[in-house]
Amino acid sequence: MGLFDVILGRRRLARPAPDRLFAVSTAYVKFETELGITSRGSAAIVFQPLSTADFEAIVSEMEEVVKATGGESGVTVQSSDDPYGFRWLVLRGSAFDDLVVGINAVSSSLEAGGYGERLLCAVFAFQDRQQHVLYWIYNFKRGAYYPFVPAPGEQQRDTERELVLKAQVGAELPVEQELQRWFPLWGIPI
Amino acid sequence: MLLTLFLLGLVYAVLIGVLIAAGAGAVTIAVIAGVLFLVQFFTSDKIALFSMGAREVSPQEAPELHAIVERLCVQANLPKPRVAIAQTAMPNAFAVGRSPRNATVCVTTGILNLLSPSELEGVLGHELSHVQNRDVLVMTLASFFASIAAFITQMGFWFGGAFDERDNNSGPAFIVVILVSALVYVISWLLLQALSRYREFAADRGSAIITGRPSALISALYKISGQMQAIPQQDLRAASGELAAFYIVPPRAKQTLASLFSTHPPLEARVAALQRLEAQLQGTA
Repeated sequence: MGLFDVILGRRRLARPAPDRLFAVSTAYVKFETELGITSRGSAAIVFQPLSTADFEAIVSEMEEVVKATGGESGVTVQSSDDPYGFRWLVLRGSAFDDLVVGINAVSSSLEAGGYGERLLCAVFAFQDRQQHVLYWIYNFKRGAYYPFVPAPGEQQRDTERELVLKAQVGAELPVEQELQRWFPLWGIPI
Repeated sequence: MLLTLFLLGLVYAVLIGVLIAAGAGAVTIAVIAGVLFLVQFFTSDKIALFSMGAREVSPQEAPELHAIVERLCVQANLPKPRVAIAQTAMPNAFAVGRSPRNATVCVTTGILNLLSPSELEGVLGHELSHVQNRDVLVMTLASFFASIAAFITQMGFWFGGAFDERDNNSGPAFIVVILVSALVYVISWLLLQALSRYREFAADRGSAIITGRPSALISALYKISGQMQAIPQQDLRAASGELAAFYIVPPRAKQTLASLFSTHPPLEARVAALQRLEAQLQGTA
């Protein structure tokens, strides 16, 4: 935002490059081979639903598209609402690349429909060799990933593990550099 | 570090010149300062522990704490220091002692309740690095000459008043002595702060080497530093309301002048250095 935008009160949002989402596909190779981290076969996209008919039409159209393209690869889609009023579209499938493609399809349709600002994040679920669950969360507005590792207990996170993951992934993923923006998602349903 | 040491040496040289110019009072000053230096050297650890209300604990009273310290000492090849606990809710940990053989490591009950075992290990590794680097000795020596300068300033005031009526020529000379001493003291104090900040980075590095887990120390630093700078607990969905409305980048407090006076580097600088170490460990640097 330049000086004139500040003075005139204009707000211009930077649209992060869409293919930064796909970085996780290439990073997944490193996850599997070097770090022993495998996909749990599920990914989700989180957005704020609007009650307009137009929005509902786009959402059901997206679900159809994912079901259609995922038919061959076996990607299923499921929709649910959470206590914060956000909608989760959960994609399940055995091939990780198909999950990424599916997530991208949903986000593209929403953005094409003009509802890009409704998008919150995408969540990819993984597990390590000790079967501990860990997530990589992609923030659409920042165009960057950050790790989230829930720990046992009520709303606990394993910050040390998250920082180690950040160091391990290196430059493979565009990681959010500001640690104050590593917001957790409590109660992830995948 | 080298620049700071050089500048400190320069300060000492100026100081010696002033001491010579001060004449007869120099011997008295040196003797008094020397005695006080020895007192400071031998009793500063007891004074520090007493002021914090710390009490030494035995392995039976605090078995986990002693176990962590023992493991770290084996790793760092240090003799095991005394362990003390201070009863206060403020999270803090410090190490005192003039040499590794006469050291005490103290933690507060606040930090014991706040941190997980691996984070506590990171913090204790930092404190033991201070012991290993003999930071108490280094800082005492460095501050020794600063205290001599302070004494000259006081002596100058005392002598300046006595000689005023009898010998007008020596009046201005003593004023110069006072001013120079005061300037020396201010400069050396600022350099001491810079030296202290460097030692903190060195202790962070030492902790990463001893424990092999720099990220645990990062996590501990965030927890100790408080909410404003911490990795958030607030859910993304709860936070996104404000973010969506304003998209203001969080303000970064400019720390230029304040940082001159602080004994510790800013949190972000420490975290950045530790993250570089972690990246080196993981082979992605």
